[in-house]
Amino acid sequence: MIRLTIDGQEVTVPEGTMIVDAAARLGIDVPVYCYHQALGPLGACRMCLVQVEKMPKLVTGCTTAVTEGMVVHTQGEAVEKGRKGVLEFLLINHPLDCPVCDKGGECYLQDYTFEYGPGRGRFQEPKIQKVKNGPINDLVLIDQERCVLCQRCVRFMGEYVGEPHLLLEGRGVETVVTTVEHQPATSQFTGNVIDLCPVGALLSAPYYHKGRPWNIERHSTICPHCPVGCSSLATTRESHIIRMEGRPVPDRDWGWLCDRGRFGYDFGYHPERITDSWVQQKTTSAAQATRDVAEWMQRTLTQYGSGSIGFVLGGHFTAEEAHLLRRFAHDVAHTDHIAMVRDVKGYLPLSLNGTFEDVAQADAVIFVGVDPYEAVPVVHLKLRDRLHHFPQLQVMGVGPRRLTRETMPGQDYLIDAEDEAIFFAKALASRLPNDSRVQALIASIQDYSLPVSDADLEVFGQKLLDAQHLTLLWDGENSDMATVLSVLADVRENPTAVLPTFGPVNWRGYEQAGIDPQYAAVEDLLTKVRNGDIHMLVLWGADLLREFPDRKLAQQALEKADYVVSAQVVPPLDMPYIDALLPVATWGEVEGTYVNMEGRLSIGAAGVQPPGQARPTRSYVVNWARLFRQEWQDDAWDVFDNAEGDVLIRADAAVASEITLTRPATKPADGVWTVIQGAWVVENGLPSEILEPRETEFVGRISPDDAARLQIGAEGGYVQAQTSEGSVLIAVRPDPAIMEHTLWIPRGSRHDWAQHLEGVLTLMRPEEVPSV
Amino acid sequence: MSQKYYLLRNREIPNIDQMAVYQSHGGYEALKKALNEYKPEELVDLVKKSGLRGRGGAGFPTGMKWGFLPNDGRKRYLVVNSDEAEPGTYKDREIIEQNPHQLIEGIIISSYATKAREAYIYCRGEFLFGAEQLQRAVAEAYAAGYLGENILGSGFSVDLKVYRGAGAYICGEESALLESLEGRRGNPRLKPPFPAVAGLYGGPTVVNNVETITNVPAIVTYGADWYTSMGTAKSPGLKIFSVSGRVVRPDNYEIPLATPLRTLIDDYAGGVLPGRRIKAVIPGGSSVPLLLPDKLDTPLDYESVLQAGSMLGSGGCIVLDDSVCIVGATARLVKFYREESCGKCTPCREGTYWMTDVLERIEHGLGTEEDLDTLMDIADNIGGKCFCPLGDASLGVLVSAMKFFRDEFEAHVREHACPMGAKLYDTVNH
Ligand SMILES: Cc1cc2nc3c(=O)[nH]c(=O)nc-3n(C[C@H](O)[C@H](O)[C@H](O)COP(=O)(O)O)c2cc1C
Ligand code: SF4
Ligand code: SF4
Ligand code: SF4
Ligand code: FES
Repeated sequence: MIRLTIDGQEVTVPEGTMIVDAAARLGIDVPVYCYHQALGPLGACRMCLVQVEKMPKLVTGCTTAVTEGMVVHTQGEAVEKGRKGVLEFLLINHPLDCPVCDKGGECYLQDYTFEYGPGRGRFQEPKIQKVKNGPINDLVLIDQERCVLCQRCVRFMGEYVGEPHLLLEGRGVETVVTTVEHQPATSQFTGNVIDLCPVGALLSAPYYHKGRPWNIERHSTICPHCPVGCSSLATTRESHIIRMEGRPVPDRDWGWLCDRGRFGYDFGYHPERITDSWVQQKTTSAAQATRDVAEWMQRTLTQYGSGSIGFVLGGHFTAEEAHLLRRFAHDVAHTDHIAMVRDVKGYLPLSLNGTFEDVAQADAVIFVGVDPYEAVPVVHLKLRDRLHHFPQLQVMGVGPRRLTRETMPGQDYLIDAEDEAIFFAKALASRLPNDSRVQALIASIQDYSLPVSDADLEVFGQKLLDAQHLTLLWDGENSDMATVLSVLADVRENPTAVLPTFGPVNWRGYEQAGIDPQYAAVEDLLTKVRNGDIHMLVLWGADLLREFPDRKLAQQALEKADYVVSAQVVPPLDMPYIDALLPVATWGEVEGTYVNMEGRLSIGAAGVQPPGQARPTRSYVVNWARLFRQEWQDDAWDVFDNAEGDVLIRADAAVASEITLTRPATKPADGVWTVIQGAWVVENGLPSEILEPRETEFVGRISPDDAARLQIGAEGGYVQAQTSEGSVLIAVRPDPAIMEHTLWIPRGSRHDWAQHLEGVLTLMRPEEVPSV
Repeated sequence: MSQKYYLLRNREIPNIDQMAVYQSHGGYEALKKALNEYKPEELVDLVKKSGLRGRGGAGFPTGMKWGFLPNDGRKRYLVVNSDEAEPGTYKDREIIEQNPHQLIEGIIISSYATKAREAYIYCRGEFLFGAEQLQRAVAEAYAAGYLGENILGSGFSVDLKVYRGAGAYICGEESALLESLEGRRGNPRLKPPFPAVAGLYGGPTVVNNVETITNVPAIVTYGADWYTSMGTAKSPGLKIFSVSGRVVRPDNYEIPLATPLRTLIDDYAGGVLPGRRIKAVIPGGSSVPLLLPDKLDTPLDYESVLQAGSMLGSGGCIVLDDSVCIVGATARLVKFYREESCGKCTPCREGTYWMTDVLERIEHGLGTEEDLDTLMDIADNIGGKCFCPLGDASLGVLVSAMKFFRDEFEAHVREHACPMGAKLYDTVNH
């Protein structure tokens, strides 16, 4: 620790701390442009000049590390003149755009000029003219004249994300920020540069000229698009969310968002948004629909008694809403058949659930089935951050495709999804053959062979044991992994943390509200519907045909139920089976608690009114209770009861009582295509007009070799898939992460063809398909 | 004036740029001597003893620089700075164009001394002929077995590549040079770490000027005592001065350090044109302050020139006579820095732009009294506040000109014209 004095106050900070950060500890604000703690020092803007005693010149506080006994002055004549000089320089070529600049009122050039700058400009010559509002891509604009060349954007993309899509071009005063070869920047993290830009040079295209600080409101919230639940700010104006920004949380989170989260806020007022009730093929008022549904519930109950209604929760509801529904089901609708829709079979006990601190501490990370870049994008950035500080980070992927990538290099173990748990178990057994827990684990699969050498297994097993802090990201596909993970955590001496990447995004919140998160629960519920044990199905945000992997069961249940009620934001694939479609309020329209993949609780803000007749879950529940002639009374349940600070309390880990692994069915014959799935935040079921330019319909992926054979170019194309059920035209593109004879499709895709891929036999060019 | 040359040997020996000619005049003998008679550490000591100081501008003791390389087993690099772009300096150019083998021999010896496995010559983009000469000479050296694996059976190996820059003054600054050499934008790096610790590709790296390295074979051949017999104790040896401006014989002159400035201008360069008087001298390249004629007896060594109020710098000696408009000359030089500012830091990027505008306005008779104060204030806001020395370099001539010739600036303002009757070039940029 280093002790120094800043403006007469003493402070003790760790070695290597820069003066500006040490000053910040004392609440002393040293103005900065180019410096950002996540990016490290650059020393370009010279805004942070401070005086250090015994140094002949002013020094930049962002590049000067503290030393013992240092005496720093952030005020005084020399510093003030230095700041004034730098600001005057920044302003000489800065356009007089403040009245029309989106950043006006929230701009550091304005703020610092007001606070430290010269009152008057002395520059008389014409200003240099550069590009105004040129595109970085469809989502981000650049006004080169406003740029102060702090390089935050360039460094963020290049060094931090590792996708150097922005660069500096030209020299001296002619220097500009632009894109590589002036082509659109394609990275999925480009939107962050808008937040990073200290001035109005990088602008959000959809927010362009949409609001100024005095006619907007900003709400502290979280992103609903994936289980990361990034902390963010929603900007609202006239009951529309018109912007999302990252919200840094001191000492924990830089406030990055991915472009999906930053720009995908418009699902709330997308043209497809359901704003009317629709009962038995007819549009009707929400009040009438509520009465109709209440009547069906009463009728069902009268006819079949308690337990005859089933509720399946999905969507983006708050933990409080989940609790309301569960209580309603139990107290009013007299049923305990309530589950949540699951798109994978795995479940992770809270005891094993890590936090992002486990990413920040990890010396080894393993991606089990999941590519975090696609499923939980900001976790990829957290991993990049770790890699930056700890270049020795070991990254491993275990799954049916490559899960590491250029920006997250590591070793891939290509293992079929159904073999993942066995791979781990055998690897452990290779190092700990005498451990009883491990012996139990492999008892049933001892003679099951994997396409990996013993040497590879041993190396992997050793890595599992050697890691000082092992963090796993798990897609939940292979449900036996839960057992393996609990044994792994038990046999390891050092910390083991798992971060589940599956949904629904608030599944932990629903679980806290008392809804069974197990796949078996929803499967059992739907089986009961199919078997006629449950007669009415209420789908609260769940879209079975899109999300539930056993499509046949879902379809049979939907067909069989007397009534299917579906509360939705946008039309579900279940539509043909629905008797009543209810417009429901969603994220951004209701305040409540979301629990993310870390088990961390955050409050989602209500910033806008639900559109049209969409109403909050609470309205439905309370109205139904009234129609049931029951007085609705809230109880004292509070999701924070089970939290310490803002994270859920972990129970002590208990090794799974039943340590046996399922033996996978025999492999299909060679030559048959393997269809694999993965979460891709872009295809998560919520539509966005803003993101349309980024969308591709070619969401299926095949190996480059297969693509070449099928004459599919890099941008994608159509191929005909022959399946055991017939033939379907699918849209694919090449992806080097995919193995040969493998077709990858996004889980929960809204593309209808993605639901019809049972037993793919061949892919062929459309014109080769023999005409029937 | 007949003299013996040690660096510009091309002046005495025609075609010494050819391997055969170089060899027949003792070429690569110093290399053999170094490999046979010296251990690397002994060579470092030899260079330390010779007192050789960097000729790229800063005058940093070369042997000491070599000694900074950490002994941690990482691969080492030697990078030779041939980006020579300082106005008034053209000494490295003559070496690479006319006597490239001596530079290459120096590089091989220096690589051996510093245990560098890879060496680069970073050649200024505009030096097309120089780069071709270097490339040809490097090929000749490979063919002769002086470069590559196991040189002359010594077990020592080094590879040498010639890299052409794209034409940027800032790439002469060693860390910007390394960025450029790595294929990135030529912007200076944050120091520390210095190149000796983390240079090219993060490895320990020595960066030396062409002239510096060209001295090395001579020092190996003639010894440290020979070198220290010239110049002063702190500034020993030989230096090439590039004389330009209003003199009879503008040229490169290889002379011992501490030769008086007057001797260089009058005896070597033939003095100013008949009927003219020296008005001021920029002794060390465009980045250093002016000296007035009363300082003409200053010995040209690092310490004396500093004491006289300027710097020896790169040894580019620009002579201004009494027909030169100091405002015009200043405007031209400041404009050079505006064009060459890399743009990384605010004061240099914006300040050089602004100063050029103001200077050109004054030069054209459009300035005001206020402009003169503004100019000095801009200079004050640049001075000592930039990321790299280029920003300060833009001020050397300006600040000294304003100090010594403020009346001339004021006359431009008062008379709305150049009092020297200088032609008003149309140089305003807009
Ligand atoms: C703006 C600027 C330009 C420079 N240009 C050159 C150059 O053209 N050639 C050179 O040898 N050194 C140049 N230098 C100095 C180098 O940074 C470095 O100090 C030098 O190459 C070291 O070699 P030496 O120790 O042999 O002098 C420049 C420095 C600055 C700040
Ligand atoms: S665009 Fe913004 S973030 Fe990028 S360099 Fe310019 S001012 Fe900095
Ligand atoms: S990573 Fe997930 S939570 Fe974060 S911004 Fe992207 S979609 Fe939203
Ligand atoms: S002083 Fe600044 S702008 Fe000028 S060359 Fe150096 S780093 Fe670039
Ligand atoms: S913030 Fe310190 S130089 Fe930019």
